[in-house]
Amino acid sequence: MAEERLGSWFGFGFCGFGQEPGSGCRHQVLSPEPLQAGGDIRHVSASWSYTTLVTRGGRVELSGSTSGSAGGCRDAWASEGLLVLLRDSPGSQTELQAWAPSSALCGEPLWAQDPEADGAELGAEAQMVMLPLLPGARAYTWTAGPWDTGGRTGAKAAGGTAGPAHGPGGSGGLALETRDLYIWGWNESGQLALPTRSLAEDKRTVTGEGLNQDGSEVERAARAEGGASAPFIAVQPFPALLDLPLGSEAVGASCGSRHTAVVTRTGELYTWGWGKYGQLGHQDSTSLDRPCRVEYFVEKQLQVKTVTCGPWNTYVYAVENRNG
Amino acid sequence: MAEGTEEPGDALWEALVALLPSTKEDLKLDLGEKVDRGVALLLRQVVGLFHGGRRAECLQASEAVLDYAWERLNTGPWQDVDKAWRQVYAFGCLLKALCLCQPPREPTAVAAALRVCDMGLLMGAAILGDILIRVVAVLQAHLVSGKRPDCSPGQELPSLKKAKRDHVSAPDMRSERAVPRLRCPSLQHFRKYFLLPGRPVVLEGVADHWPCMKKWSLDYIQEVAGCRTVPVEVGSRYTDEDWSQHLMTVSEFISKYITKEAKDVGYLAQHQLFDQIPELRRDISIPDYCCLGSGEEDEITINAWFGPAGTVSPLHQDPQQNFLAQVVGRKYIRLYSPQDSEALYPHETHLLHNTSQVDVENPNLEQFPRFAEAPFLSCILAPGEILFIPVKYWHYVRALDLSFSVSFWWS
Repeated sequence: MAEERLGSWFGFGFCGFGQEPGSGCRHQVLSPEPLQAGGDIRHVSASWSYTTLVTRGGRVELSGSTSGSAGGCRDAWASEGLLVLLRDSPGSQTELQAWAPSSALCGEPLWAQDPEADGAELGAEAQMVMLPLLPGARAYTWTAGPWDTGGRTGAKAAGGTAGPAHGPGGSGGLALETRDLYIWGWNESGQLALPTRSLAEDKRTVTGEGLNQDGSEVERAARAEGGASAPFIAVQPFPALLDLPLGSEAVGASCGSRHTAVVTRTGELYTWGWGKYGQLGHQDSTSLDRPCRVEYFVEKQLQVKTVTCGPWNTYVYAVENRNG
Repeated sequence: MAEGTEEPGDALWEALVALLPSTKEDLKLDLGEKVDRGVALLLRQVVGLFHGGRRAECLQASEAVLDYAWERLNTGPWQDVDKAWRQVYAFGCLLKALCLCQPPREPTAVAAALRVCDMGLLMGAAILGDILIRVVAVLQAHLVSGKRPDCSPGQELPSLKKAKRDHVSAPDMRSERAVPRLRCPSLQHFRKYFLLPGRPVVLEGVADHWPCMKKWSLDYIQEVAGCRTVPVEVGSRYTDEDWSQHLMTVSEFISKYITKEAKDVGYLAQHQLFDQIPELRRDISIPDYCCLGSGEEDEITINAWFGPAGTVSPLHQDPQQNFLAQVVGRKYIRLYSPQDSEALYPHETHLLHNTSQVDVENPNLEQFPRFAEAPFLSCILAPGEILFIPVKYWHYVRALDLSFSVSFWWS
């Protein structure tokens, strides 16, 4: 078995509440930066106004609109209304706890219960724990969980969940089925990697055709002649297969409220969609309607292993390239 | 910072500040539990930055408020959007507009702030005593008195007669049954013979003295509302695949879709323009007959319909009574009874179940055979006239000229 290289976490995008990676100084980060918290992080879950980090030692740390930390934690799931933790309870059992984010993890959780049997799984390396879906809890209407399981082979699309929505925007679902990438939902900001009118009108679309000979960007026809239907797609109502550039194979994926990030088998990170807060990591605020590689990791010779998106930001776990 | 850009006693800024609550602490929103704690925090931060004179940061934070609220406004059906989120959005617009106008400001700042306020009016909900309406009035007054870089289209406005000469055919109505016409019927007569039995009628002499009938021209609309941002429908009809909605100023709409021979049809349709522009509201009246309904007057929805010749509203029905008042130009209108709904082949989808699949003036009778025998009434509605469309009565409308209509939906 290959030795496990210890990697580190990076973050980019919106941090206006002082959450990682901004740590209070900046509103947004346009290019990947190492997280302040250091290298011991094994899981990240980000809501809009705060981010949670879970360390290998079982500590959960909050940054942003709320702060605080606690021990005995295996996993965390952050949302604006609720912070859900999977914690060790006495008797080597695990317990699901729901906290008000403002509590800073002091006092008592709002409620606690045994996690349901189906849905709660421990990954082979105990790296990722998929939080179960509980009926009736508002927190689980949106879940970033089932699709960003980096290490699972032949990951099955969670068939039972309909229309997975990521973040308040409810846009863009992803499913990994036998390593195929499917997208569906809202494409207003190009988050489905389909051509979108809003970007073409802003002349920010990087189209498949690339550049004209004189260097100007090819502009997609908004209205084709002869009554042919326009190529823009505002909503994709059923899953469509998405090919990544150069035939790359997806092994992990995550969605923000209006952007998408995918990890390939060869350790590259592709992002697309809404980029206003730098959440695409391409050193600017441009939005894109097709997948583009985050060059930072290539330049630093880092292999991306995992990605998890908050609504307006992106967190990435990467290890150094063996063949440095 | 350039010398002399901040004039002593900037009149616009003073006028804007005068609109704000007298105590700093009152510049806030009381939303209670309805919005997340994170947003409440950010709103307090925005206000703090504003009062602290930290304009760039205030602008940045306002932008984040707008982006977050916008996502909530675009989640789910519009009627399900909590009013609190619309208020958050409006608040973000207010602060952003203020930041843009604070001296020293860019030359385009006022027009930009006006657009932001219009977004707050279109998408948001009233806050601080409907402050956005008052802010708009101040901004618009400033634009009129000074230079107007974005207001006028920069070309001579043609008169109504010269606007977009499209070859729009008036239909041959000789074989068609006409909608009955009445001159100023009494309330009782209208109620007994038309409202209760659900029969259409054209009312003459009721609206012909409204100020709009004399005042409304392209020039006047341009003057009163040219800088204001409105939603425009682009595409022949809303059932088409390439139909879309765009936001633009009234000036842009007029120059792009009315005075020019545009490739596409643009229609300022079904928009509550008179909530947005109170000055135009004063040019119209609510028909007295609306008091025969059970609803309150402030529940009546008043919509503007402003577009070039050739705009079409496909055959459809609405869930309320309708008075359609014609102000400029003529419209050809066909009416089918709800009793004949089956012969009109409504769409099966939920979204379009109130719309017929049939193209009224060019029906595909192989696909929709029963349509040929469906009885109907028709009329050409001219300026000064009001058409009563009973609740659920199917109606098809085509503008024969440059047209401005006002509809009143009541119950």
